[in-house]
Amino acid sequence: MNVVVRVRGLVKEHGQGQSRVRAVDAVDLEVPQGQTLAVMGPSGCGKSTLLHLLGGLERPTDGEVWLAGRRVDTLTERALARLRRRSIGFVFQAFHLVEELSAAENVELPALLAGCSRREARRRAGDLLERVGLTARARHLPSELSGGQRQRVAIARALVNEPLVVLADEPTGNLDTAATLDVLRIFEDLRAEGQTLVIVTHDERVAASADRLVSMRDGMFVDDTRLAGTGTGWLGGLIGLEG
Amino acid sequence: MGSVVLVVRLVLADVRRHKAQALMLLLAVAVATATMALGLSLRGVSDALYEQTRAATAGPDVVALSGDTGPDVTAALTALADAPEVVAHHGPYRIVYADLTTRDSISSPVVVHGFAETPGAVNRPLVTSGRWVRNGGTVLERGFATALGVGVGDRVTIAGRSYPVVGIAVTAATSIYPWAAQIGPGGGPSDYTGLAWMTRSDAWALASAQDLPVTTALDLKLRDPARTEAFREAHPVSTVRVTFHSWQFKAQQDMVILRNSRPILVVGGWLLSFLAVTGVAALAAGRAVEQTRRAGLLKAVGATPGLVATVLLTEYLALALAGGALGLTIARLTAPVIASPTASRIGDAAGLTGATVATATVLAVAVAVLSTLRPTLRAMRTATVTALTVTAHRPRHRPWLTALSALLPTPLLLGLRLTARRPGRAVLQACSTATTVIAIVALLAIHVQPERGYGLGDSSALPNLRGEQDRLLMLTVTSLLIALAVVNTITLTWTIAMEARANMAIARTLGATPGQVSAGLSTAQLLPSLPGAVLGVPLGLGLLSLFSARNAVDPPLSWMLGAALATLLATAALTALPARLAARRSVAQTLSAEH
Repeated sequence: MNVVVRVRGLVKEHGQGQSRVRAVDAVDLEVPQGQTLAVMGPSGCGKSTLLHLLGGLERPTDGEVWLAGRRVDTLTERALARLRRRSIGFVFQAFHLVEELSAAENVELPALLAGCSRREARRRAGDLLERVGLTARARHLPSELSGGQRQRVAIARALVNEPLVVLADEPTGNLDTAATLDVLRIFEDLRAEGQTLVIVTHDERVAASADRLVSMRDGMFVDDTRLAGTGTGWLGGLIGLEG
Repeated sequence: MGSVVLVVRLVLADVRRHKAQALMLLLAVAVATATMALGLSLRGVSDALYEQTRAATAGPDVVALSGDTGPDVTAALTALADAPEVVAHHGPYRIVYADLTTRDSISSPVVVHGFAETPGAVNRPLVTSGRWVRNGGTVLERGFATALGVGVGDRVTIAGRSYPVVGIAVTAATSIYPWAAQIGPGGGPSDYTGLAWMTRSDAWALASAQDLPVTTALDLKLRDPARTEAFREAHPVSTVRVTFHSWQFKAQQDMVILRNSRPILVVGGWLLSFLAVTGVAALAAGRAVEQTRRAGLLKAVGATPGLVATVLLTEYLALALAGGALGLTIARLTAPVIASPTASRIGDAAGLTGATVATATVLAVAVAVLSTLRPTLRAMRTATVTALTVTAHRPRHRPWLTALSALLPTPLLLGLRLTARRPGRAVLQACSTATTVIAIVALLAIHVQPERGYGLGDSSALPNLRGEQDRLLMLTVTSLLIALAVVNTITLTWTIAMEARANMAIARTLGATPGQVSAGLSTAQLLPSLPGAVLGVPLGLGLLSLFSARNAVDPPLSWMLGAALATLLATAALTALPARLAARRSVAQTLSAEH
């Protein structure tokens, strides 16, 4: 199976001198194509930092990050930007939509950055908004959308360039139960389609929908569990995702 | 292509979202570039108006003037007309020195040119209303008639004789009103004088009956109009005293009335540009956090640092360039009025020169770049993750200031700490205040200068047009500067209030009243304004000394200190409203919004 993400001896330190903190401590990781990986752990254990390192948003203090066989931690800022626009999709807890652009325009944004024509970007955005059930809200500004709708727009935006991997940082952290279920259904569909996903979460329901669960503590992996990989399990059933 | 669409889309969306700020940038740049372009183009426009008047009136290349009359003078001038370089001439003709009084009892010195009822090939005054001279009637030069408030059909009294005004005309053969005399009686110095035309016989009769001073003039058209100086040198007149006035000299004389207009507009343009930079920098600083987050977001979805910088700078550059274009249009439309305050010239003037357009464009770009470069670089350089979660820049810890301010009353304590939190913006506020005071000092200085009216015996019945023009331009420039300074003060107060809202809310929870918070925010603007106002007085005087005449009078010190004090009081009043609005915000809402 092709490995999409590979990490070797990854270290990230914040601060200097006595206030230096090792947020990620010698982590090794491989994420095969089509796998949904959930990363769990207490606040401050280094989950988000790991995700930022995988996506090239931060540079490691030590170690290597490979994406689809290409080492990316040594790339320039410009090359990293190009890599993000074509190969990585981000979903943030705080959504991070451009407030002055409509939902459709937000989704089109990475496509236009990647050099798509306006027409093609619009077509892709239309398809994805339909897929996340927001066609009727395409012209609305983020401020006119609920939290769940904003997160669905953010997911559509992450998918617009058909990335190798989607990195989601607490995607349901700011959502109520109903909105969380909407997001989980979308992730479930993506998993079924073979989209590689890395999800950092506190939410057991999100973790239960993954193929594999990694637990982190103090910057290190303390557990790596292969889940059933066929669904959201008994927890999914309990909350109505199964059956 | 996609990136271009994206940049355009982001810029337009941001402009739509921040309309007031976009409008402020547009207007600030427009005002600055219009003023600067006007100042720089005055000479060109004045020259163009003279050229157009000269072309429309077959203006002479050289006017030969003699302070006397008689056969010797006529012979000497006629000999000049026979010179090989001369292709056409008009005259010799008589110029009679008299006084003119209107029905409203306004009196002025006037020179009367005796002309044929059908003008010749050279010096054909262009009648702009009414008709050309006939026996018993007079035609007034347009600048003179406008100053007198006289039109066709009115009657004027010249040297005790009443004449109907049958026409109004312009000519390029004399300098503009009030310098139409060119030379005085006997060839001596001339006074502020208007111009009237009569038939030769009427002019002769007027001079004979009243025994008025008379001089003689001859208008010449040369084969090569550029060689006026060579003509003068080649034809020295030894028998009588003859003064040569070339067309170049007259064009130069037209600028005399604009002598102060150029520095007022050019220096005013620089000061306005400076205030525009200050205002836009205040706006950009107020939006720095938002822009940094926006940059982080764009980077997260794949925008390169270059593209992020393009997005952030394009908006300001596009608005500044639009403001520059608007300013140039305003300058183009108003230049003929400002360059010709006397109505003695005709035409709609040439367009702005390439150099002026280039200077105005550089100015507009400089305003955009100088005011936004720092926040743009900050947004570009901030790491993506940091940018996504950025909050307002944390100020430096200054223990001595904290200890000092603890001794002060609450509003001063809050104000001093707020000022210290944002020293850059305190400097902007100080500069804005200093610029305002500089302009007010210049305005006061122009108002205290002694001035001679154009009426008979220096009477003020006919106002001094140059002084009026100077005062009007200075008042306009000062008003624009004050308007920009007002907007800057309000903007700075509001941005500081918004950034300090969490701290002010905490101060409220600790017992500070809304009034004390509001007074603290006002004090934060007043503290830097104080040195700005004090420095503005000597800076204004220093700037004036570079351009004013040696015998210029300084305004009384009490006036200048009063202006500085009034500026400070106005600043206090202006900051009160945004400060009060910011202080009224709910403490609970503010604190919960910060977390």
